Amino acid sequence: MIRRLTLFSLLAALLLVTACSSQSNEGGNAGSNAAPAPSSEASGNASETPAGTSGADFSEPVTLKLLFYTGQSQRLAEIAGKELKELVKKEINAQLDLTYLPWSEYGGGKTDLMLSSGEEFAAYTDINYLSKSVSKGLYADLTPYVDDYAPDLKSNVAAASFDAFKMNGKQYAIPVGNRASSAAFYSVMVRQDLLEEVGMSSVGSLAELEEYYDKVHAKHPDMIGFASADATYMLMYEYTDMNLNWINNFIAVNEAAEDDKLISWYESPEFKAYASLMNGWYKKGIIPKYAATNQPQLLSDWNVGKAMFYPGTATRPIEGIASITQAVPTAKLQNYFLNKNDRPKISRGTYNTAYFVSANAKHPERYVAFFNLLQKNQELYDFFTYGIKDKDYTIDEKGRIANLTSDLFFDDWMMMNDKFMRFETNVSDDFIEEYKHWDDDAILSKTAGFNFDNTKVKNEEAKLNGVYTEFVAPISSGFVDYDTYFPKTLEKLKAAGLDAYIAEYQRQFSEWSAGRPQS
Amino acid sequence: MPYKENRALLVSFYVAIGLFSLICLVPFVLAVSGSLSTEAKIAADGYSLLPRGFTLDTYRFMFSSKTEQIVRGYANSVMVTVLGTACSVLVTTAYAYVITAKGFRYRNFFAFLAYFTMLFSGGTLPWYILSTKYYHLDDTLAGLFIPYLLNVFLMYLQANYFRSIPHEVVESAQMDGAGHIKIFFRIMLPLGQVGLVTISLFYALQFWNDFYLPLMLVTDEKLFTIQYMMYYMMANIQFLASGNAARIGGAIVAPPLETAKLAMTCLTVLPIAVLYPFLQRYFVRGIIVGSVKG
Repeated sequence: MIRRLTLFSLLAALLLVTACSSQSNEGGNAGSNAAPAPSSEASGNASETPAGTSGADFSEPVTLKLLFYTGQSQRLAEIAGKELKELVKKEINAQLDLTYLPWSEYGGGKTDLMLSSGEEFAAYTDINYLSKSVSKGLYADLTPYVDDYAPDLKSNVAAASFDAFKMNGKQYAIPVGNRASSAAFYSVMVRQDLLEEVGMSSVGSLAELEEYYDKVHAKHPDMIGFASADATYMLMYEYTDMNLNWINNFIAVNEAAEDDKLISWYESPEFKAYASLMNGWYKKGIIPKYAATNQPQLLSDWNVGKAMFYPGTATRPIEGIASITQAVPTAKLQNYFLNKNDRPKISRGTYNTAYFVSANAKHPERYVAFFNLLQKNQELYDFFTYGIKDKDYTIDEKGRIANLTSDLFFDDWMMMNDKFMRFETNVSDDFIEEYKHWDDDAILSKTAGFNFDNTKVKNEEAKLNGVYTEFVAPISSGFVDYDTYFPKTLEKLKAAGLDAYIAEYQRQFSEWSAGRPQS
Repeated sequence: MPYKENRALLVSFYVAIGLFSLICLVPFVLAVSGSLSTEAKIAADGYSLLPRGFTLDTYRFMFSSKTEQIVRGYANSVMVTVLGTACSVLVTTAYAYVITAKGFRYRNFFAFLAYFTMLFSGGTLPWYILSTKYYHLDDTLAGLFIPYLLNVFLMYLQANYFRSIPHEVVESAQMDGAGHIKIFFRIMLPLGQVGLVTISLFYALQFWNDFYLPLMLVTDEKLFTIQYMMYYMMANIQFLASGNAARIGGAIVAPPLETAKLAMTCLTVLPIAVLYPFLQRYFVRGIIVGSVKG
């Protein structure tokens, strides 16, 4: 008996040790490989072969593994086997290995496994995923390669976008795409066809928006009003005189004030005003009752033309229209600002898609060179976004594009660049004119380029997010009443460490603001 | 009369079960009728139990644009199910035989070894590294069933059937000079047949329904199983609908058509739905036999 017990405990201990050590080994490897590898290669490359004016070196043939989400269309597969292959070979002496995963694996899931197990690949990232992964040492530092390998991209994409994907001064992801991006979600995207149907021409205030709802509701009682549960941005101009912008769920800044003060959003009187507005909408039915339990349904309803308005961005009216016109052929979409007056639009600089390269990549510079190709010039932009001229698309005398295939190439929402993008024939001139001047009165947020290091308040952050989902979200979406539910929620937030979290945020932000060159 | 009482009870049972079955059936009927409806009607009026504006267009569309993928998906699923079931039944019964063999000194040790993995696992990351870096199961057909070869629960189930076989049978065979291989194939397997059928069914169902292994180990479209194609489509729709897409570029991409989604569901469920009525009695019988004798 005793012998058997010893044997078992020995075995158990052995298994535990192997399991633990394999995990920590991997983490350690990834971390330690990350930092030194790129820099040493960079210096090697730069000194060895100064090809032409730049330091780019394409002598060694390499294979680049690019991970995308959604799937590969038939046409993309065809050109990947021929035209695309030849182009990439010729331009940067590389071969592409395009792999696809479902969207559920974005920013976690298998992408995390691939990163943590040290595979070599590149894929898109957002700021949250970037800061998480960089702190684990999983992304390659691409700073040394931008100038030599992506000169065209650098001039075709706004510098603010590059800054947005920096951490501690290092470039960890390369932005691709450059589009009018200010005031994202600050506008109301309205079904213009319905608006005209009820005898209105435009919407300029909350009162008019509600009038629009009432009139359409009277005519089409089965339609829902607002197809989202979040109007924080959209209604901002109505419930405050400040010009607010949000860093995350908990923290806002007033872009109109020249200071570095952070606002604890949920404790502010503005949040109260906003929550009351939303609660009014919910009670009135502008936000449908099912929104509390089935949020995905809201977007589905919007997409089949059963909703009246939705938060807008500069490009949403043309991006979103295709699915709606399938169900309602006469549908038209138009952006409006509610009571904005002369407050400038806020640009965060992070709206564009960016690519990271995993830390173990042997040739990170070649990935950067590939991203450069995507937005190098009009010709290549057309090729990657629309396919082959006269086979996949035609361009008329006005420069408008007509797609001959419904197959997608490189996702156009990712590629979209003001310098190169083409509008379809059915987009109105007015829209294009408005779009061209969209960013004219925009200011860059004072938070642009700031990335929070959450190491010290990780626990607080996790707890706060828990409280947010369970208690705060229902209040902010108006499903429950602020006055009844907020006092208890505030207690929970405080217990979760809201004060410590905001203090740490404020400390880092003040420090960063002080060190930032004033422009 | 007890008979009358029984009868009343029976009737109420039948009614209850009947109602319950109807409720279970509703989602299937909705899926089938949805896949046979026109997209515009579904968008406008929602689902219904009878198809709205009956049409076969969705299936026609799917088979005209995706025939090759669907057929390949089916082929892969069938292959994985058949190969996977055959291999895993062999491995499972062999393991079960070993831990029930009376003369084998370390049988408890091996039983514990299997049991231990039921309670503790190394986690996903070590599993992933082991599968891809050491066993190189990524992008291979083998990768779609090898990680599931031994299901410990089913192994114990099978071990229980083996234990229910009187030891004297084995002993007499041994006296006649039979070795373990002979005993295993000629005596244990034929006598443990009911258990064999049960675990085969469990395995087959598991392999048919699995989308996790393709998700983790396969990126080559040629190896996609029909379940994974389905999961892929649903995952994309869910992501786009959840608003997460806004984080990386504010895209609203038109999700695949509602009817296509439902048609895909029907295609995936079809073979199981057709086979299940004929096979399910084995499930019930198998489990009962084990439980009485175990």
